[in-house]
Amino acid sequence: MKQVIEINHLTKHYGTHRGVEDVSFCVKEGSIFGFLGPNGAGKSTTIRAMLGLLRFEQGRIQLFGKDIQKDKEAILREVGYMPSEAMFYPSMRVKEVVQLVADVRKKDCREEAAKLCDRLQIDPEKKIRELSLGNRKKVGIVCAMQHRPKLFVFDEPTSGLDPLIQREFFALIREYVAEGTTCLLSTHVLSEVKNHCEKVAIMKEGKLQCVDTVAHMTKTSAKRIRMVRDGKQEDFLFKGDLNDLAKELVGHEITDILIEDPSLDEIFLHFYQ
Amino acid sequence: MITIYGHEFKSNWKSLLIWAVCVGGMGLACILLFSSVQESMAGMAENFASMGAFSDAFGMRQLSIATLTGFYATEVGTIHGLGGGMFAAILGTGMLSKEEDGHTSEFLFSLPIARSKVIWAKWWAVVTLILLFNLLCMGLYVLGFFSLGEHIPVKEFLLYHGMQVFMQIEIGAICYALSAWMKKNQLGLGLGMVLLLYGYDLMTRVIPDLADYKVISPFSYANAADVFSSGTVAGTATVIGAVVLVVSIWLAHVVYGRRDLAA
Repeated sequence: MKQVIEINHLTKHYGTHRGVEDVSFCVKEGSIFGFLGPNGAGKSTTIRAMLGLLRFEQGRIQLFGKDIQKDKEAILREVGYMPSEAMFYPSMRVKEVVQLVADVRKKDCREEAAKLCDRLQIDPEKKIRELSLGNRKKVGIVCAMQHRPKLFVFDEPTSGLDPLIQREFFALIREYVAEGTTCLLSTHVLSEVKNHCEKVAIMKEGKLQCVDTVAHMTKTSAKRIRMVRDGKQEDFLFKGDLNDLAKELVGHEITDILIEDPSLDEIFLHFYQ
Repeated sequence: MITIYGHEFKSNWKSLLIWAVCVGGMGLACILLFSSVQESMAGMAENFASMGAFSDAFGMRQLSIATLTGFYATEVGTIHGLGGGMFAAILGTGMLSKEEDGHTSEFLFSLPIARSKVIWAKWWAVVTLILLFNLLCMGLYVLGFFSLGEHIPVKEFLLYHGMQVFMQIEIGAICYALSAWMKKNQLGLGLGMVLLLYGYDLMTRVIPDLADYKVISPFSYANAADVFSSGTVAGTATVIGAVVLVVSIWLAHVVYGRRDLAA
């Protein structure tokens, strides 16, 4: 299967401040790829470099096999992006913002936009300044989806959305992905990655910690250890050779020990901390 | 490109109407006021023309404010020059920086349109709005002349307003370049610059030692009293204005085209 996103050794600094360092990963066509990390991990910097909003010092980013620094306009025609802030021109109506995006894309998206507005329960007549964060997010979703792009890039899409709309949003993603669209989902909500993504990249402090399938990550060598050592209760995640742990325990009084596979949440948090 | 141009035009047309009605309306009111103050102006004209540097600064030595043309050049010329300059500064300073200030830059620049095309579309919107502002104001001034049944010195009138358009475009371009640098809408900076350039122009007319440096301010070549009295424009100042305009637009492209845009 073709790779839709290929990021190789991306490095970006903001003056002396760290942005991201040596980030590399690929996203294959027709998949939902989770991009996970705590606030300030470098997820948005990576995405913004990927869309040509930021210049970067080192590395190469290709979308659909084209270089973002050379073919930005052609690439963005096939991308539907929803920024985390979801800000639009406050004096415009929802329908005007949606139409503006369609006009820039030179596409008639009225049918698809009407369908999306209906499913996400947006009033197209409302002014942007009257909308809550959640409703602005919905407008962002319509703008990103109405032209049926080949790639969705969502940066923290569900913050502010109520659970019913979140469910509808993921149902929409699955429908488009079933038709061949690829989706990069940047989030710090672990359950979203667990429930919807096939593969995940985890960022921390500007560096990529790991890229793996969600299924494979559950089979990690890390173990949750709960024990009572020398009368004290201990609970920790251990990654490494269990023989080393056994050697460390020699000479201690172990009254109880439980070794189990960690939950996916624990694995993610292990990378976060 | 045309979509962004249309979007910017629609976003600013209310502001255009407000400024045109205010500045043009004030100019029209001044013209209409002339018939009621004409007699007293005849007596004052001589005094105003003999106030030394003050008369030079406001062009009252070259033109008599007892005539409608002289009154127009000194009074309406000042209102239109300052009002137009401020309108151009407001348009220029906000046009690019408003995207980052309003956190809409990610929305706009993630659409499939080259940054250079956005910069050009926004610039042409500034130019169009300045042109329309001047046409609306000129319409109101012509209405004033017709209402009083007075003859319009067509050549000087067109030359003066042509230079005013050019001056406002130059001010708009300088502010547009500033806008490319700024992450916040620096409206105060733009308006302050207009007042500074106007004040500088007055000073160069009052202080003889500064006369050689008056070409720095765009108000020097778009001065109503100079144009209406001589029927010509200052060549050097206009050329300098054109160079400043081109360099400003080039800078706006270079700076904004290469900048990392804030969310």
